[in-house]
Amino acid sequence: MRRSLTWIGLLVGGWSAAAAQGAAQAIVSPFAEGIRAYQNLDFDQAAALLRRDLARSSGSTATVSERAQGLVYLGAADLFRGRRDSAVAVFRRLVQLDPRYRPDRLVFPPEVTSVFDNVRVEARAVVLVAPADTEISTGSGAFSFWVVASAFQTVEVTLRYQDGAPFRALYAGPMGDSLRVQWDGLDAAGQMPPVSRVLLRVASRAPTGDLAGIVQLPLELRAVHVDTLPWPKPPADSLFRPERSGSRPALRALLGGALLATTVAALPSVVGGDRPSRSRLVVAGAVGFAGALGYVLHRPGRPLTANIQANKALRSRWQQAVAAVKAENVQRRDDVRLSIHAGEPTAIKPSAR
Amino acid sequence: MRVACVGFALAALAAGATRGGAQGLVPAAGLSIVSTRVRGTDELTGTVLGGQGTVALGRLEFALGYLQGKIGPEGGGARGQDLVEGVALLGVHPAAWLRIAAGPHVRSYMLTGGTQLRWVFWELRARASGAFVGSAGRGYVELWRALSASVNAPETFDHAQGGEAGMVVHLARAPVELRLGYRIDHAVLGGGTRVETVDGAVIGVGLSNR
Repeated sequence: MRRSLTWIGLLVGGWSAAAAQGAAQAIVSPFAEGIRAYQNLDFDQAAALLRRDLARSSGSTATVSERAQGLVYLGAADLFRGRRDSAVAVFRRLVQLDPRYRPDRLVFPPEVTSVFDNVRVEARAVVLVAPADTEISTGSGAFSFWVVASAFQTVEVTLRYQDGAPFRALYAGPMGDSLRVQWDGLDAAGQMPPVSRVLLRVASRAPTGDLAGIVQLPLELRAVHVDTLPWPKPPADSLFRPERSGSRPALRALLGGALLATTVAALPSVVGGDRPSRSRLVVAGAVGFAGALGYVLHRPGRPLTANIQANKALRSRWQQAVAAVKAENVQRRDDVRLSIHAGEPTAIKPSAR
Repeated sequence: MRVACVGFALAALAAGATRGGAQGLVPAAGLSIVSTRVRGTDELTGTVLGGQGTVALGRLEFALGYLQGKIGPEGGGARGQDLVEGVALLGVHPAAWLRIAAGPHVRSYMLTGGTQLRWVFWELRARASGAFVGSAGRGYVELWRALSASVNAPETFDHAQGGEAGMVVHLARAPVELRLGYRIDHAVLGGGTRVETVDGAVIGVGLSNR
């Protein structure tokens, strides 16, 4: 009788502490009726309602945290109904659903939390947390995922073909709360898996070495080849300068020099001076010689060094651009990317011996 | 009156040109050796030194020139007399190859008889230039005519005109230019009773960034 009073006192205390939080939760939670019945200490009614609502709920109607809340209330209700085995089974479901879940110790009394903790340690549940879609560079990149455990345990993380044959071991050893594992997209031989679907398997083992549970995550694989770049277009002909001189500069020098020399020589006639000095003939001769020299220097077909150098630099820039694109394309051909789509995980319980 | 009209026209053209092609000031300067021969009542020859400079602002250009040296009778042993010549021109470049300028041109020299002859011309000049040997060798031709003139001679001024032609070679990768030309001025007084011709070769070196 005294023990029953203690239970009732603790339950009332817990109910008082959770009153404010529960009021808000009851409005939105799909398990509001069962939780309210629990808070009213009507454990039979609470267990029936929660069981009904949990059976109806699915991933689309209730979130993981809502289902976890429904399960913890159901387990506590079963415990207070004296059905410990049923409570343990419910808590085991809860641990498998969310290994990190911990009951609020302000809401639930130690009797509930201690049973839950025992189940959590014994259950050795793990879940896989992986991004839905990932694209990695095989070899250099990595597909990262988390293994989350309910308690300290030994795990083996392997990648397997669909028939169950392993092709890559990723981790084997103890783990505590969580473990981050990476896969570079290759098999044990360093090649891409020749299949489009593989299984990521996490096996939990008891301290005795017995298999405690398996979680499998199907991975859809797709090789993604990066497009190569087109070669840069060669420079347009209009960008190249003539590499040989034409006849125009030479003729301009020759004819311009002759015209200018004639002008110098004839200047006194134009201006009107009589008996001009002979110095004009010297100047006219020098100008004519400069024109003839200009003709030689600019003779048709002469290589134009500056233009040849400019064209060479233009071709060199294009060739460098082509070489850069070639190198990039070689890298792109080698850089096969792997698209990974993670499916829904499944838990496999080992068969009882 | 004629000088005033030309000056006004040039000033208006220059103002428009400055607005249209506003750039920084571009100076240029040079030194020349001019072998001069003066043929009038006397025939005097000599070599004189000169300097000239220009400042360009857009299409506008201002030019100054000065010559000074000794000239004397050809083949004579007598000591030469001073020849001094100066010119100030304000010009514009209507096109890259053409310059039109106007301004005073003064010349003074001593005749063998001891008379100092002083000329003041107000000239209108046109100068065309263009490359003919690559871009380094440029030829130029300049012609001028006196719009008015005054001279301390008994004859009345009739007309005067002149010109210069030659080439300028720009040295590669240096703002230095070499100049070789021939110039001639011809003035007529008293309806042809007195004629004066000044001509000679010009060899110069200059600095220019153009």
